[in-house]
Amino acid sequence: MHDAITAERLKVPAIGVMTTRFVSAAELMSRVLGMPGYPFAVIPHPVSSATDDGLREMAAIAIGEVKRLLLRL
Amino acid sequence: MIGRPMQLASRTYDVADVWAAQELYHANGWTDGLPIVPPTRDAVAACLDWAMMEPQQLVGIEPVRGVAITAEKLAINAIMAGCLPMHFPVVLTAFTAMLRTEFLLHGATASTGGCAVLIILNGPIRLEIGASGTFNTLGNSDRATAVIGRAIRLALINILEVRPGGIDRSTLGHPGKFTFCVAEDEENTTWAPLSVHRGLPPEVSAVTVMAAGAPRQIMNEWTTKPEEILETFAAEMRANMRHYSIWAGNYAIVVPQQLREHLQTAGWSKSDVAAFIFERARIHRREWADAGKGAVVRDRGDTVYGALESPDQLLVVAAGGPAGGFGAIIPPWLGHKSHAVTEAIGVCIDCEPPKA
Repeated sequence: MHDAITAERLKVPAIGVMTTRFVSAAELMSRVLGMPGYPFAVIPHPVSSATDDGLREMAAIAIGEVKRLLLRL
Repeated sequence: MIGRPMQLASRTYDVADVWAAQELYHANGWTDGLPIVPPTRDAVAACLDWAMMEPQQLVGIEPVRGVAITAEKLAINAIMAGCLPMHFPVVLTAFTAMLRTEFLLHGATASTGGCAVLIILNGPIRLEIGASGTFNTLGNSDRATAVIGRAIRLALINILEVRPGGIDRSTLGHPGKFTFCVAEDEENTTWAPLSVHRGLPPEVSAVTVMAAGAPRQIMNEWTTKPEEILETFAAEMRANMRHYSIWAGNYAIVVPQQLREHLQTAGWSKSDVAAFIFERARIHRREWADAGKGAVVRDRGDTVYGALESPDQLLVVAAGGPAGGFGAIIPPWLGHKSHAVTEAIGVCIDCEPPKA
């Protein structure tokens, strides 16, 4: 979240990708960094023990979320 | 002494009595779950006065979020933790050390890894404030270490919002997150103080901070040979590398008097200890498979990993009660990212003298 918000402040569009268990942390970080409500993509948790197929699914979700948040489709 | 009434910036609250004060702190999430000492204006001013600091003096800036840490806010948390003014310079110095970039304070306090800040005291200030490095050294050994460690945690909670479920995302945490401060037992050892090994002159009071996991206790009462004693410490470090994290970094080992005397009698210095541990605390990546982590061994099973990148990464601490063949290793949180920092208390090493 910190990196994404820093990028936005530099006028570079960015999307943070969080797993479900870090949603509240991401919301808190956007608030303490002065950009409350900053949207981010959410994927399932946990990533580290996911199978290759599971990772592909997460990547697909992330791509969909990024498109939704960055583009006016 | 600052020769005029101190102007404090913090908001004040009127409460009926000490019980109402406790409830105010608990209700607002301003404490660690234990009662606090109400930080009255006079008590906070006395802390700042002792350290000869103005309330708005900047202790430092938290490097990731850019939060300014003022002396006043730190003093408030020191009083809440039970500090007397004489403890405050240690709290100030510890927090200054934690704000160094190499400590990685935000990561260390936010991570799911759940480490605490281990604070190690050296030099004459230990005796001035009554910090003990003998009995129960990793537990409730004395007032000074108890309140100094707690002051750091309360400051993290209140100044940097490091609350469980907030910035603090620890999965487990450990008991050292209430307080985790150790004084080295310099009086009962021939070894040089940790601060001297870390580059400070002898007789300078100092604080070393480390982002630290929970202590892991070892025992070997059945030998006097340095190699065998230290093999037990190295084995526990290898276990940590297998069961927790393979990455190298600042490990601390705490060596109480009984085992220490065997090492000293054999002529082993702290540097000798560190050189031995550096060689012995290593594992092959394939050992991860023995601990259920075969999925990440892949084709790198023969790669050897050391617990230390160099012998001087080991913080050898002489502390603990006089009897018992025990010791402890204290593993790093994320050793290749967060590094221990040592700061002198109340003096400036290598600073330029003021120009006339």
